[in-house]
Amino acid sequence: MPELPELNPVIHGKLRLALLSLLAGVEEAEFTWLRAKTGSTDGNLGAQLQKLEDAGYVKVKKRFVERKPQTLYRMTETGRVALAEYVRALKELLGASIGTG
Amino acid sequence: MTQETDKGELRERLDLIESMIAEGRRVTGNWGWAFVLWGVAYYAAFVWAWLGWNPMAAWPVTMITAGVVTAIVASRRARRRPRKGTVRAVSSIWLVMGVLLLVLMMSLAFSGRLDNHISLAVVGTMLAVANGTSSLILRWKMQFACALAWLGMAEVGCFGTQTQGLIAFLAATFFCQIIFGIYAMISESRQEQLNGEAHA
Repeated sequence: MPELPELNPVIHGKLRLALLSLLAGVEEAEFTWLRAKTGSTDGNLGAQLQKLEDAGYVKVKKRFVERKPQTLYRMTETGRVALAEYVRALKELLGASIGTG
Repeated sequence: MTQETDKGELRERLDLIESMIAEGRRVTGNWGWAFVLWGVAYYAAFVWAWLGWNPMAAWPVTMITAGVVTAIVASRRARRRPRKGTVRAVSSIWLVMGVLLLVLMMSLAFSGRLDNHISLAVVGTMLAVANGTSSLILRWKMQFACALAWLGMAEVGCFGTQTQGLIAFLAATFFCQIIFGIYAMISESRQEQLNGEAHA
């Protein structure tokens, strides 16, 4: 029987998965946009984005626009590969679970 | 972990990925206002030149003012929106077209080789290129129709009389800038409403 794939624990968290998926569809996005789309709190969002940054899946860029701070997030190539791997593993697991009923 | 994860949770994760990627794809630029602004600027420049008060300054001053207003409003609007490749591509086309058109028209004017037929042919062709390319990137048939209308105006500029050319210019500005701009603004606001409902 073939071994079932493991799901990447960094990506598996619901909010982290939502953040990576959002960033997969855009070039870069601001903190407030990610907060609005996920409905998360500032603290939780910041903590989850930090975990993704530590894993090398997202890159952060801080700047000032009209004297207001702006934090922009961009998905890295490593992040893209990890998300693609995660989706592949997820589909494989779903296929296996459908197969076994 | 893998063995414990049940089917429902796995499906939920897959749905989450799909819906979040779709959220990112729904991000579009809002540019309808810019079409209306430039349409009004064309009319303002035309009326200014027609009134005969320092007519040489009419087009450069109006176009540069419209360019500055567009840059300020666009940068403010883009501040809180995520960046997307398609939006950047379309904006780049219009930026390059605008700068090139301004440089070319001013060079022709200062060299004394600019006449109404050449102006209409050059402006019509450049606007047809920008509208046509944008419409192919965005897959927007209505904008492709605008590209054809501008090309038609350029042809009238080449083969028609001066009066016919000016009428074609005023008509193309009305339909391809003012009317198309208002239509684009309505479409964009409807799209944003739909996105909001989809997210809720």
